[in-house]
Amino acid sequence: MTIRTLFLKIFIWFWMAAAGIIGVLVLMVWISDAQTLPERVSRGPLSEVLNIFAESTAHTYEQEGIQGLDQYIRKSTKDTGTEVYVYDAEGKPITAPGPDNVPEVVKEVETQQQPQQRISRMFMGRTTWGKLVTGPSGNRYIVAVRFHAPGMRPSFFTTSRIIAMILTAGLVCYLLALYLTSPLKKLKSAVQSLAQGNMDARVSPQLGNRKDELGDLGREFDQMAERISMLITSQKRLLADISHELRSPLARLSVALELARKNSPPPATPALNRIEQEAERLNELVGQLLALTRLESGAERVPAETVVLEELLQQVVDDANFEAKPLHKEVKVGELEKCRVTGSPELLRSAIENVIRNAVRYTAPGTSVEIALQWKLDTAELTVRDHGPGVPESELAHIFEPFYRVSESRDRASGGAGLGLSIAERTVKLHGGCINARNVEGGLLVTTRIPLAPNSNGDQPQATFSPASLASG
Amino acid sequence: MTSVLLIDDDSELTKLLEEYLEEEQFQLDAVHDGVSGLEKALNNQYAVVVLDVMLPGMSGLDVLKQLRQKSSVPVLMLTARGSELDRILGLELGADDYLAKPFNPRELLARLRAILRRTATSNTPSSAAGQPVHLADVELHPESRSVTAGGKPVTLTGAEFDLLHTFLRNPGKIISREDLTQAALGRPMSPMDRSIDVHVSNLRRKLGTYDGNHERIKAIRGSGYVYLLPGEQS
Repeated sequence: MTIRTLFLKIFIWFWMAAAGIIGVLVLMVWISDAQTLPERVSRGPLSEVLNIFAESTAHTYEQEGIQGLDQYIRKSTKDTGTEVYVYDAEGKPITAPGPDNVPEVVKEVETQQQPQQRISRMFMGRTTWGKLVTGPSGNRYIVAVRFHAPGMRPSFFTTSRIIAMILTAGLVCYLLALYLTSPLKKLKSAVQSLAQGNMDARVSPQLGNRKDELGDLGREFDQMAERISMLITSQKRLLADISHELRSPLARLSVALELARKNSPPPATPALNRIEQEAERLNELVGQLLALTRLESGAERVPAETVVLEELLQQVVDDANFEAKPLHKEVKVGELEKCRVTGSPELLRSAIENVIRNAVRYTAPGTSVEIALQWKLDTAELTVRDHGPGVPESELAHIFEPFYRVSESRDRASGGAGLGLSIAERTVKLHGGCINARNVEGGLLVTTRIPLAPNSNGDQPQATFSPASLASG
Repeated sequence: MTSVLLIDDDSELTKLLEEYLEEEQFQLDAVHDGVSGLEKALNNQYAVVVLDVMLPGMSGLDVLKQLRQKSSVPVLMLTARGSELDRILGLELGADDYLAKPFNPRELLARLRAILRRTATSNTPSSAAGQPVHLADVELHPESRSVTAGGKPVTLTGAEFDLLHTFLRNPGKIISREDLTQAALGRPMSPMDRSIDVHVSNLRRKLGTYDGNHERIKAIRGSGYVYLLPGEQS
């Protein structure tokens, strides 16, 4: 989406700038023409021709009178749109008086300091040229010639040409925007692909041999991707190594411990028990840490198996009850709706197990953990409620962080390393779901939502099996 | 002395285990890589093979796969804790039971004894257990430990065979997961233990379904499993 808008931004702004520049250019040419044209007219070769024409006009008037003048003017200006006005030296019109700025120009000619000077002024796209001329009799006349602005320049910027220029600029800007943003688009898809865990995503082959900054960026990205994929590979290897190297000594330790147990006097037993307990705790911690890192590194691929959530939940609850009974706690199942989700049954089991065990751990003795599984539109919603101390509001957001403990008082004694909920959260996220916790009266409510399998309609293959025959069996 | 083959690359651990198990009347034979382990397991008579999944060279799962093509010797897998996939894969490939490593040696001893107890009872057929069982299209012969379904032979591991035997003796009855674990694995079920579910699902897969779409074994929520008779399908 950003690329799209960036493309539009570059395209539109550049085009607008180009159109603006064209506009300014047209305006400047027009203004400078308007200023210099009268000058050019009053000095240039055209002026010489007009000069001769004005003198012959005065000549014609004196020789042939007003009628001859009219005829002469009509003949010489035929179909050209040029108008000629003749005034006497005092500025009184001899022919019909001229329109617009003609009287002003005549006045200017009449009152000018240096006689015989040519005056020309623009008005509404036309130029009015005026000069004082002397006829053969010695009488003076002012001849004003009004004609369409001469010269080729103003007609160069016709409306159609301006539109063509702006459209051409638009095409160029479009290509420019495409040129600038298309590598970004390729880069974006490569980044997305990398983010989704495709470690082989590279952008250079698509960018070709671009030598500019975008080409550099692409190559930098490829180097970065290379490094990341190397890091992940080495992290995976490290995980395997840790699991092997840390566990080998632990395995030896427990065997050696049993050997020691056989050969040591009874007073050593409590200490040996303690060693065993700590070894077990260390073992558990390493296991959880490995599970968590595996989840976080994205190394864990979620298989697309259909998981019968209520069955899985029931098994976990049975096990949890088994562990809870000696502690005078209980796990109660309320509503249990049929839910099919897609994912790994093993991962989901460990996630649910972690949430329920956590609840069992914190619920007060003599109370129960209440569990319900319900359909909510397209998600399966699992609620686990305990009757424990709850969690301070300010710390609620942190309980899914690794090694986070709400308070010192409820740590070691309650067991666990503080990784269970983190593992649950990562797993649920991996399955496209979410998990959150909030305080309810006298306890904590953890809600887990997992998207239902797409074609889940609550039926199971064995649904045709009649409960009646079960009861008889 | 019962002879046990241990395939594990940690020689220090195998030495300790040798010492520990010797006192419990086990003769432990240790091998440290997959290839020679497979060779030894195929060429010698062992009561049990203990196989580590993580082995240099040939992986434990590959060893198991090849071993199962020729031998049905009981196999106890040692898997890394937290690696659910190895465990499932191991059981699917025909391991009889698993133990997460590092393990408590007492637990190892208990699992070994459970496997031995189970194989001992199935190898000395009593009058009841020795009778071939015939139910619908499935036939089970305890003496030859062979099974046919719909006339075709089905290859089952020891645990799967005992599981099926238990089911066939109690068709249509709900059998708890605890009882099934006891019957098939020869040991009590421990909390968070999923082995029996994997064995059941293997058995389901290997036997196939009635008429192509009716499950033979149904999970009963919170109770266990039931082996259905064809007539019970509606």
